[in-house]
Amino acid sequence: MKRVSKSDIVVPALFLSPALITLGLWIYFPLVEAAWLSFYDWNMMPTAAKNFVGLDNYKRLLELPEMGPATVNTVYYTIGLLPLTVALPLVIALMTQRLAGLQRNVYRSVIFLPMIMAPVVVSVIWRWLLSADYGLVNKVITSFGLAKVQFLNDPDVALWTILFLTGWKLIGFSTLVFAAAITQIDKNVMEAARMDGASETRLALNIIIPLISPAIMFIGLLTVLHGAQWSFVYINVLTNGGPLSSTTNLFFLLYEYGFGNFAVGWSTAAGMLLFIGFGVLAVGCLRLMQRHATYAN
Amino acid sequence: MTIANPTIDIRAPASGRLRSKRHGLNLRSHALLLPLAFICIFPIYWMVVTSLRAENEIFSLSLWPGDASLHNYAYVLKAIPIGKMLFNTFYVSLASTVLQVLTGLMAAYVCARWTRRLGKWMLALLTVTWLIPPQVIMIPNFVMVNQFGLMDTLSAVIVPQIASAFAVMMIYQAVRSFPQELIESAEMDGCSHVRILFGIIAPNIKPVLASVAIILFISTWNEYFWPLLVNRSMENAVIQIGLQMFLTAEGNQWGPLMAAATLASLPILILYLVLQRQIIETFVRSGFR
Repeated sequence: MKRVSKSDIVVPALFLSPALITLGLWIYFPLVEAAWLSFYDWNMMPTAAKNFVGLDNYKRLLELPEMGPATVNTVYYTIGLLPLTVALPLVIALMTQRLAGLQRNVYRSVIFLPMIMAPVVVSVIWRWLLSADYGLVNKVITSFGLAKVQFLNDPDVALWTILFLTGWKLIGFSTLVFAAAITQIDKNVMEAARMDGASETRLALNIIIPLISPAIMFIGLLTVLHGAQWSFVYINVLTNGGPLSSTTNLFFLLYEYGFGNFAVGWSTAAGMLLFIGFGVLAVGCLRLMQRHATYAN
Repeated sequence: MTIANPTIDIRAPASGRLRSKRHGLNLRSHALLLPLAFICIFPIYWMVVTSLRAENEIFSLSLWPGDASLHNYAYVLKAIPIGKMLFNTFYVSLASTVLQVLTGLMAAYVCARWTRRLGKWMLALLTVTWLIPPQVIMIPNFVMVNQFGLMDTLSAVIVPQIASAFAVMMIYQAVRSFPQELIESAEMDGCSHVRILFGIIAPNIKPVLASVAIILFISTWNEYFWPLLVNRSMENAVIQIGLQMFLTAEGNQWGPLMAAATLASLPILILYLVLQRQIIETFVRSGFR
């Protein structure tokens, strides 16, 4: 039996307090405060009064013209990233399993590189590459006799451009995660399946993908829960939500309402809905992951 | 055929088949990986090349500038306080990293050593913060920074990042898998919690701490959203915000802009060059467990 001494209470408290106080003060407390502010009309000025308006902010959100496109775009940003962060990397990882030695290391270092680049730098680089007048990409396109593409100024194209930039950072990373998961599969299992005459496709579908499903789920979860948020920087730096609100999403809209219109009530009310929406999504995804976790071992 | 020597019978043809397949797969692998590698590295290469071009050569398509020069860099150094901003970013990243590893280590220790239920609850309380989007809590935080009188200071960037869900989670797993017998025998010898954590556990999980530190440093260096709210002047801004301000001011000065972007990524690129293997391992391993 362990004796409970004074240090068994004091030390844990001391050890926990920096993390607990920081996260409490800068995340939990603001979350409660944001919920509270969503019932008030306020313009963020310390001297201005906060007027209680009940559910008016929430009702107002239904009428605000930007909410519709922003919500639809958030879904696009969430789902649209999956081909770039899950499907394509999975195919590449499956088809390049046997690359060995130096070549493998060179490829690894190169395709991982975008992951460590700052999103602002990425925005600046692609703004140059995709520039309508002098950008390299448009020079290549016109050299084939095709018309220039307004990657960031055409409302039909801009969203896909932002989506590509968000995904660009992650293609290599996901590929390496899947490749690492594949190398952890017991070699005997694969050999046995091959000897039984399984084709490479069947091997991939029936053995490899189920065995690496925790990694696939993890990247999928990361993309679904954070994808729309990752695109914030590109939207903020490159398009400001335009042209014609075509690239805006809910995260950017919260920022615009808050620091563009100083409409604290709108921003926090929309924030609460977003938080609850993604919270439900997160719980759903985690449930799904747990159910499939049995594949792991 | 007898089954007297099945290993030879089976393995010989199998390995032969494998070898021929390996060759075929390699070609296919290159066909897939070369375009991917090109897409990943060319934009970064183009940034560096553009930054070295002379003004009259900016729109050239040559893969290397006719006469490479550093005049774009000289221009940027004169136009914006880039040295100061790089120093700010280094200071912020280092401080946040050290603090998060330290607070994460201490919190992880308590979570791992408490009774299972209590530990799990505390861990959940600390790590679920990962799911709260910064845009949802930005206004109260912004107001708080204002009230504390921290607006436009580097402390405003550091203080909310004294602890993070990520550091707690990663370090918790390492502490959790640390051999229990060692901790118990240290306790028998009368070691204090402080001794056990900093004298026994921490030195033994150094690789994990280093990995967490690398990820934290890189992600703080690249952080944009929170500094966007609390940075005001270039003198007190981190480099990402400085770059964004420069872009807004001189958006079509492609040469200087690429020079600024190159300078903003150079420290991380150098770090990557030196610790490449470890960085990739670290990120990938944190990507699946």
